[in-house]
Amino acid sequence: MREAYHVELDNLADNLARMSSQVADAMERATRALLDSDLKLAEQVISDDSLVDNARADSEEQAYALLALQAPVATDLRIVVAALHAAESLERMGDLALHVAKAARRRHPDPVLPAEVRDYFARMGEVDVRLARRAEDVIRTKDVEAARRIEADDDEVDDIHRHLFTVIMDKDWPHGVAAAVDVTLLGRFYERYADHAVSVARRMVFVVTGRMPGYGGSDS
Amino acid sequence: MAKRIEVKDLDIYYDKFLAVQGVSMTIQPRSVTALIGPSGCGKSTFLRTLNRMHELVPGARVDGKVFMDDQDLYANGVDPVKVRSQIGMVFQRPNPFPTMSIYDNVAAGLKLNSKRLKRSELDDIVERSLRAANLWEEVKDRLPKPGSGLSGGQQQRLCIARAIAVQPDVLLMDEPCSALDPISTQAIEDLMLELKERYTIVIVTHNMQQAARVSDVTGFFNLRGVGQPGELVEIDETTKIFSTPSKKATEDYISGRFG
Repeated sequence: MREAYHVELDNLADNLARMSSQVADAMERATRALLDSDLKLAEQVISDDSLVDNARADSEEQAYALLALQAPVATDLRIVVAALHAAESLERMGDLALHVAKAARRRHPDPVLPAEVRDYFARMGEVDVRLARRAEDVIRTKDVEAARRIEADDDEVDDIHRHLFTVIMDKDWPHGVAAAVDVTLLGRFYERYADHAVSVARRMVFVVTGRMPGYGGSDS
Repeated sequence: MAKRIEVKDLDIYYDKFLAVQGVSMTIQPRSVTALIGPSGCGKSTFLRTLNRMHELVPGARVDGKVFMDDQDLYANGVDPVKVRSQIGMVFQRPNPFPTMSIYDNVAAGLKLNSKRLKRSELDDIVERSLRAANLWEEVKDRLPKPGSGLSGGQQQRLCIARAIAVQPDVLLMDEPCSALDPISTQAIEDLMLELKERYTIVIVTHNMQQAARVSDVTGFFNLRGVGQPGELVEIDETTKIFSTPSKKATEDYISGRFG
């Protein structure tokens, strides 16, 4: 048994799972900051983002060291390659939560969102956070079925995101251009966040099956 | 040249002891097939049945079939010496004939096969073989010197030149780099990639990265259990074996998850 090597591989997965948990917390707080105009919470999300950035740098360093020193193959190789990609997705998720928090801070003490779209964002926030927590579970359990379910759950966010365009394009939209831009950008942030969570889940399917879902083959 | 080998249900015995059981595989011409597996699993034993060297051990024998193209290598009346001239072998430790010159080492097989060759013909074959083994430039000015004066890596290439001088159809290599440094190893690996244009190459190696680098197809041998015979667990394209092998035992072995 290459004991130290397998401990390193486990550490790599642990690190990713921890990042998932961090970006889920970040989006949960950012959404609350957005909905409640909570400046303190927004500030916390903004300052905590560096933790996720550092975790990503650590994961990359670990992955490179494993590639350079251990020449992993088969499942082990897929773990390392998937970790490199997943760490990038997770860092982007952290950044998107950061953008939401910054929008809340920018408009403070005024609310960013007009009342009629508030519930949409509350819902997108909920789904995004759930997706990130599921991604954490999938990283820990390598459960392919659970990973595939994440992909289906992302549809709800896509639907809301699309619907927001019809709301702001309505000729009777009373809140002006600045609010419309905020809603457009924020909607996009939530939609991207969910997409990255799906991408992380797909990487875990790749680790287990050796095939990326959705790219040719029968596994899509 | 470059013939296909077909093995069918081969059982290999040392006297009453069944060392390897039930091997079937097809080895494609103009390719490198690597055999990997833990020590004692029978991969070298298997290799030596392909040119009928196994039976040189007293009491050793096989059941099953080995074909080279359409020729049944174990049919009655087949001359094992003839088989060995068609299927060359390179061993773990370079074994040039120590008292012979570099030139005579390469020419040894031709002389043994008692072909009457003119000196100029022999010169040509020696040069061609040494060039094919990527050794010519290094030794062309000292052909009459003893082969044992060369470095380990050069000696191994000399043995390869000796093996291909008789123009075999197949080249078997039993851990040809395990006694060599990384630079000589790379020279031999480069050579294998050149030689596979013309030969069928089968290599036994303990170096899995070497199997991954040089071979087109990889076969994994393992013991069925303590005191049990060795068997071929899985054979497939090398990329498949090292990315998504079908058998868990293969994955465990290549990932270092054993014991």
